[in-house]
Amino acid sequence: MPDGPLSKSTFESVCWNFKLLAHHELGGFGGMGEGMGIQVAKDGRRIMWLAHESAPKNFTGVDVSDPRKPKLVVQTDLPESFMRSNSLELTGDIMAVAYQTQKAGQKPAGFELFDISTPEKPRSIAFVDASGPTSRGVHQLWFCDGEYVHLAAGAPDFKPTHPQDDQFYRIYDVRNPAKPSEVGRWWLPGTREGDNAPPPTRHQAPLLDRGFRAHNTNVYPQRPDRCYLGYIDAGMFVMDISDKADPKPICQWDNSPPYTGFTHTVVPMFNRNLLIVTDESTNDNATDWPKLVWILDARDEKHPVPISTCPMPPVDAYKSRGGRFGAHNIHENTPSPYAWHSEDIVIGTFFNGGLRAYDITNPYQPKEVAAFVPPAPAMSPVGSIQLNDCFVDERKIVYTVDRFSGGLYILEMDF
Amino acid sequence: MAGPVPAIHASLAAANQARRGCPRQAPHDDNEVIAAGMLELFPSPTAGPFGRRLKRERGARIPVTVVTGFLGAGKTTLVRHFLSTPEGGGTAVIVNEFGETGIDDALLRGSSDNIALLGNGCLCCNVRSDLQVTLHRLVADRERGAVPHFERIVIETSGLADPSPILTTFATDRALGGEFHVEAVIAVIAAQGGAATIESFAEARRQIILADRIVISKSDIADEDAPAALGRMLCQLNPRADIVEAVAGKLDPQWILAERTGAFGAGFLAEAAAHTDNIASFTLVEQQPIAWDAFARAMEALIALRGPDLLRVKGFLNVTGCAGPVVVQFVQHLAHPPVELDRWPDGDRSSRVVFIARDLREAQVRGLFAAVRALAL
Repeated sequence: MPDGPLSKSTFESVCWNFKLLAHHELGGFGGMGEGMGIQVAKDGRRIMWLAHESAPKNFTGVDVSDPRKPKLVVQTDLPESFMRSNSLELTGDIMAVAYQTQKAGQKPAGFELFDISTPEKPRSIAFVDASGPTSRGVHQLWFCDGEYVHLAAGAPDFKPTHPQDDQFYRIYDVRNPAKPSEVGRWWLPGTREGDNAPPPTRHQAPLLDRGFRAHNTNVYPQRPDRCYLGYIDAGMFVMDISDKADPKPICQWDNSPPYTGFTHTVVPMFNRNLLIVTDESTNDNATDWPKLVWILDARDEKHPVPISTCPMPPVDAYKSRGGRFGAHNIHENTPSPYAWHSEDIVIGTFFNGGLRAYDITNPYQPKEVAAFVPPAPAMSPVGSIQLNDCFVDERKIVYTVDRFSGGLYILEMDF
Repeated sequence: MAGPVPAIHASLAAANQARRGCPRQAPHDDNEVIAAGMLELFPSPTAGPFGRRLKRERGARIPVTVVTGFLGAGKTTLVRHFLSTPEGGGTAVIVNEFGETGIDDALLRGSSDNIALLGNGCLCCNVRSDLQVTLHRLVADRERGAVPHFERIVIETSGLADPSPILTTFATDRALGGEFHVEAVIAVIAAQGGAATIESFAEARRQIILADRIVISKSDIADEDAPAALGRMLCQLNPRADIVEAVAGKLDPQWILAERTGAFGAGFLAEAAAHTDNIASFTLVEQQPIAWDAFARAMEALIALRGPDLLRVKGFLNVTGCAGPVVVQFVQHLAHPPVELDRWPDGDRSSRVVFIARDLREAQVRGLFAAVRALAL
């Protein structure tokens, strides 16, 4: 663990049923976003690609062939300090990177495709402009079939009824990666100027009014005609995308109010007829508690029913540690030969609550089976760990990243 | 399924139901029934009829080491030395008596709530109340950050304790069984006078017979031939246990921490050995896969007839339809929930179940299993 001026914590670190194999601070640029993916390069090296939470860095490649000795391979820069490349996904040797700006109207904003066949030298293939007077560009993307990129994106021709509702669901055909073309889009009725529906009722301002806009846009080969769409303050949707030109919602499930919104990720467990839905904690000191990982009975996809949540440690033990406490990302069973696929274990990040693994064999009673809460990383502005995202490769090696400064932690499951 | 011993019925019957996919008539325990029925509602391609296949028997549960030994055997010295090693960090210690040989004030810093932080970062807790309450409270305190995040628990029993009730506690209390796993029972016996203690006290004999590992202590202050003589006696009483000598309580901490591999070690308690209180051990070995129904029914019958005499029963089963070995464990009339491991530890695929029982002969048990299996067909 790093030993810096802010590394001392009065709180206990926890490493329960995980084994820490390595920690890499990524050259001092260890503030990481929510894009993680594994490439196995032609020379056999296993490269973990990581999106940064904010400028100046764009993305980083780390050789994790030996998970005990990660090596920095490449780290790229963003052209503007107001940009962030929060999300990335890859298929084979092509990687898609999302670009979002701090304010609407700033450029560049959109997404970029890179040829990463030589990991040290990522080469731009195409850039798709999603900037506009009311757009902040792309926050998140999904690119797992090599053919389509699914986005949470603004657009130059989309004027939202509320500034926070600027990013919606868009689909790009990238079968010719040099010439991506938009093939479909969907937004929550009422969020675009000119809609027949009235704008949605806002969540309580200012802390809980986070926007009626898209977040995760997951699509899986088991059901290529479905998109599992997190829509922040509108809850989640299962979308029929059998006609990509005309995505249609099959169902909506929304826990808020009375909960505190920001639905983030929807991961289907196809064999088990379950959906795993995460909230994102966005407020420091747990003022938006509880932010949870929800288990939904999805036997009838038109009527998902919440049956349980993954148990969290007591909020009183974490709310004063600094930064956020609560659910965020989970390992998404990414459709990749280099991702672990499990429908019995859910692994997620909970900011200062660390990384936690749950056994959901009995989905009515999820049970925590492992936890990793490292000490506050050096130079953390909030004085605590803020684990932001996680990924598990097919070797069952777990990767997790800190939001501000800690970089990459590599662990082994031991349960 | 109605009867006076619901716990065994509940866990065995739930597993039966999971395997057969049929509802039970009269559930004894709702949680078990739910657990079994879940795989029908939400089928898992990787879980087996006994739930998630585990890398090791304890799964994600907190490992518990039970240290027994007669008065003056040197239990506290052994525990104190373990706590002083780097490997001993992260250990919560529960002692169920404070006496002259208890952990002293220099090591235990006083606390009003019976929980105190040791100088090396360990916890020590004096069980004045019930063991179950203490364990639950420790876990709750760990969750809310009131005590350091311990990784294991060592229970130092009182010298006169028969370990059976402690083992029973971990088998009976569903919450304890779900949170804790008895990794090993370690018996400590003094080289000098140990043989006399065994001859005089049934509790001491029981401690030795039920142990997974035995420590001969204080051999440095014993007569020259005492440790060897005691070792021979211990081998007779418990040939399955790993026996080591400790000088001044010093033992390799890894020996204490080592996980059991699932089944008891090899060896049998000779029925003719002296001072065995009619307790004998034997191992049932079966080369062919076993139908779970037949095994469960045979155990139910055995427990109904002779439950109090089954001191410990544990082993690996090669269950028809299961990918890995199924670990079964019984203490008297109680059954731990069966656990399926994700792989066999070696090339041996035979079922191996060790019985430590009183007034029960191997031929009787073998005959019962054969009869039930014949009827089940």
